Amino acid sequence: MRPAEGHNTVHRVLGDKKAILILLGPALLVYTLIKLVPVAWSFGLSFFDGNPLGGFTFIGFDNFVRFFNDPQAIHALGFTVLYAVVITIGQILLGYALALLYVFVLKNASNFVRTVVFFPAVIPTVAVGLLFRSMFAVGQNEGPVNAALDAIGLGSVDWFASGAGTFIVAILMELWRSMGFFAVLLYAGLLDIPEETLESARLDGATGLKLVRHIVIPLSLPVLLSSVIFSINNSLKVFDTILALNGGGPGTETTPLTLYMFNTVFSYSDYGYGSTIALVLTILCLLVTVFIFRSARRDITRN
Amino acid sequence: MAIQTAPVAMATASARAPRRPSARRGIVGTIKWVLIGLLVLVEVYPLFWLLMGSFKTQDEFFSKPTWALPESFDLTNYVQALTTGDLATNLRNSLLVTVPSLFLMILLGVAAAYALEVMVWKGRNGILLAFVAGIMIPGQMILVPLFTVYFKSGLTNTLWPLIITYTVMGLPLTVFMMTAFFRAIPREVFEAATLDGSSMLGSFFRIGVPLMRNAIITIALVEFFSVWNDLLIALTFTTKSSLATVQVGLLNFSGEYGSTEYGPLFAAISINILGMLVLYLFLNKQIMTGLAAGSLKG
Amino acid sequence: MFLTPPTRRTRRLTTLVVAAGATAALLAGCADSGGSTGGGDSATAFSLLTPAENKVIASELTTLSTGQCSAENTALPLDSQTVAQADVVQKITLLASQDALPVQFVAGTAQVKPDGDLGKNGLLLDYEKTLTDLGVWDDILPAAVSTIKSVYGGMVSLPYQYNIEGIFYNKQLFAANGIQEPKTWDELVAALTTLKAAGVVPLTEAGNQGWPITRLIGNYIFRDLGPDAMKAVKDGSAKLTDPEYVKAAQAIADLGAAGLFGEGITSRDTDTANAQFLSGQAAATYNGSWFLANLNDPAQNKIGAENVGFMPFPNVAGGKGDSSQWPANAGAAMATSQKLYGPKVGDWLSCIATNYGSAVMKDQGVISGFKLNTPVEDVPPLTGELQGIVNDATQTVLWFEALMDAKTTKDAQTNVALLISGSMSAQDYMALLQSDLDQAK
Repeated sequence: MRPAEGHNTVHRVLGDKKAILILLGPALLVYTLIKLVPVAWSFGLSFFDGNPLGGFTFIGFDNFVRFFNDPQAIHALGFTVLYAVVITIGQILLGYALALLYVFVLKNASNFVRTVVFFPAVIPTVAVGLLFRSMFAVGQNEGPVNAALDAIGLGSVDWFASGAGTFIVAILMELWRSMGFFAVLLYAGLLDIPEETLESARLDGATGLKLVRHIVIPLSLPVLLSSVIFSINNSLKVFDTILALNGGGPGTETTPLTLYMFNTVFSYSDYGYGSTIALVLTILCLLVTVFIFRSARRDITRN
Repeated sequence: MAIQTAPVAMATASARAPRRPSARRGIVGTIKWVLIGLLVLVEVYPLFWLLMGSFKTQDEFFSKPTWALPESFDLTNYVQALTTGDLATNLRNSLLVTVPSLFLMILLGVAAAYALEVMVWKGRNGILLAFVAGIMIPGQMILVPLFTVYFKSGLTNTLWPLIITYTVMGLPLTVFMMTAFFRAIPREVFEAATLDGSSMLGSFFRIGVPLMRNAIITIALVEFFSVWNDLLIALTFTTKSSLATVQVGLLNFSGEYGSTEYGPLFAAISINILGMLVLYLFLNKQIMTGLAAGSLKG
Repeated sequence: MFLTPPTRRTRRLTTLVVAAGATAALLAGCADSGGSTGGGDSATAFSLLTPAENKVIASELTTLSTGQCSAENTALPLDSQTVAQADVVQKITLLASQDALPVQFVAGTAQVKPDGDLGKNGLLLDYEKTLTDLGVWDDILPAAVSTIKSVYGGMVSLPYQYNIEGIFYNKQLFAANGIQEPKTWDELVAALTTLKAAGVVPLTEAGNQGWPITRLIGNYIFRDLGPDAMKAVKDGSAKLTDPEYVKAAQAIADLGAAGLFGEGITSRDTDTANAQFLSGQAAATYNGSWFLANLNDPAQNKIGAENVGFMPFPNVAGGKGDSSQWPANAGAAMATSQKLYGPKVGDWLSCIATNYGSAVMKDQGVISGFKLNTPVEDVPPLTGELQGIVNDATQTVLWFEALMDAKTTKDAQTNVALLISGSMSAQDYMALLQSDLDQAK
């Protein structure tokens, strides 16, 4: 800390109104116009029935009552939560394991593996969906997965005929696609841990898992936390991959809230109810994030 | 389920490896490399299979085993993919949308984060919360009002609706992550700068941005792929095929049931992937230099 | 893809009341902002919006714009754009609410019905009146007119395609297994069982599309209960949960349970299904006349067009319908904006009505609902056979979802995979659809 006589200057400069306006103003302006206003607009729509062409009728809370009495909506909600939980756990575990691998095992030689494992994250999601649909195909145009199952005598599986099968493929696809991405994200956090800290911990006898549990995880907690929030918010909003893989089917077995909302608005022209579904999803994301923040804070204080 | 368990097992085995006596080290080392090989195989094989498929004829798809190599490497499928789907235009559009979006997003986001985290003023927490809450809002929620706005302002039939929407969609995460990174920098750094007499704007560019280099690259990485991979917004605001991005083009391409066969479809996907590979190898270098700079700082 | 049109439909918003008071404040000026009306052309181009998946219409109109319709094109140049099939309803809703519809556009089936969002707001041109005034009404085939009117409730679409549907079969495979063309459902099932034992895929369908399977349910209903059976469901005088309707779903579920669609039916896409039939791996496929484009292409058709037979969906024993009632559709609704109509648009419509039928048959081998004013030489035999059926058809039937709202349609097509894989019972399937129908009322 510099001498105390500078304190007033520090506060004056750090509170420079003009600088705040120049730095924050543009972002706040576009954000308000393009995000906050439309959100409020959409929020308002959830109390109406109709669409821009046919007109809107105020119906109060009817859409919310309908949501909780709509078996498809409840199923979509359940699927969304299940998918998000499984994907988040998978992404973080695999990503973290890979990041540890890069930093502590492969070290400077990790470049190649990191590049290869990361690469699927840059492939357009529609392409990944089409690729996995072909990989897991059954029948005359059988994909490698079923060919392999046949070869080892297990018999081929019609993955896309059941919700459970499609769910498994969707999970494998998303983890295949994104684990390298989360690995790099977490890797950047691990690199920031000072070598001296690790070295002194090693001198104290912490090795292997112990080192990871007591030193590495606590020190990478901030980046871990943002990764979890990033992962769960993205997987709660899953759309492209599910759509490209099996269109949310069979039936509506693997339809998440986003897709149900999209269909409701854009295929059934039911803008009011669609906005209600979007609102439920938004509230869900909000609750989950707040929950993670809270439990993370508890963890930090406990440590 | 090799995909799920392999890396976990690998990491535990490998984390211990350096501390083991040399006799066990050999075995552990072998297992380690086998598992790493498996990991690479799992990541690469689907792409290899896709690439091989892009050279196959329709007949080969239906009459030959799925792992068979193509009978010849002629480029018929690629020619068809390029003529049927307008892939060059799609790639150009994707770039024309992604690069300005990223630039604006990061410029606005880093500046806002600096004002919200480094500078001290009343109400900053409220505004930060408003930004961060945006992370949780699904894109679906803003599509309908935005379409109306863009239409009224005559922006449809250009790429601007995409650029503007992506910029704003990316802002919450950028602001959130940037404030986190700024928080990690000791406040003394900025306080010292003010004592040296530099203005806030000056220290933002001279100290804030350079310190954030590593973080900017990370966020650029995150946002690049979420913009590049977006389907929802591109689909909604793309009014003509000459404005279609890669994702939209690919979706339309696969939908042409009358003419599309597996070979050309796989070729179209392969072209997209190869394009991304070139870009990625270039970007990858940038990422590595950024990360290296970051670790030096640490 | 040609067949998706009937599969994507907006929900029939029967509960909708035109906005008043509070809603006007919310979306002021969106619902019915005034545009220019009157005698002259307000359009500056013959703007056209077609489904991206269907290249035929746009490319044929482009050909006409440089050929027979070049004068019309000079007066009002063609400006062709496309929209992904899945986005049609969304795009049209937004464009219409902005008063920005193109001159001619694809629209969702429910949107163009008299009580639909477009129909209700008087945005659509009545082709019957307009084409009669223009003196070209006779260029539309009567069968196409009847199909369009019964689906949309009015003449609000041009029949750029006119498709009849039936079962294409491989004559060689049928002969090799001693099978005659089946006349009844029971004979068909027996034939398919024989073919399965012979190691071929008996009946291939694009299962992941849903509609090829629901078509079978619909046809079974029409054969068993008569051509008005689905109208009765719409009126409410019958329910899908009635035993005779459930019986149809059960009949199709039984095909799936017996493995008569072959392995992987629920994820099989159109290309795969077509390729299976065209390569001789599958003995039969229920499909529409658009399939001729593939059948007549020697590069795709390995079994040879001469080995392809075409038969109607067979009778159901004791049923009220019969196999002379061909299932037909007229593709996606291609509507014209009432507001943008003017003399120059009228010239375009006359030119299309006069020339499109022959041109599209000559250039692309596609059967449309327009009269062939110029004789077309060298029509492939199979195409000629189907064109003959179209010309002679007296009574046609629609399809299972034709009169359903968008949500019921989607649920019918997506859940049918569960029906044929045995994950959902026929009773549950029909109950789900009936509850959707009740919700839409």
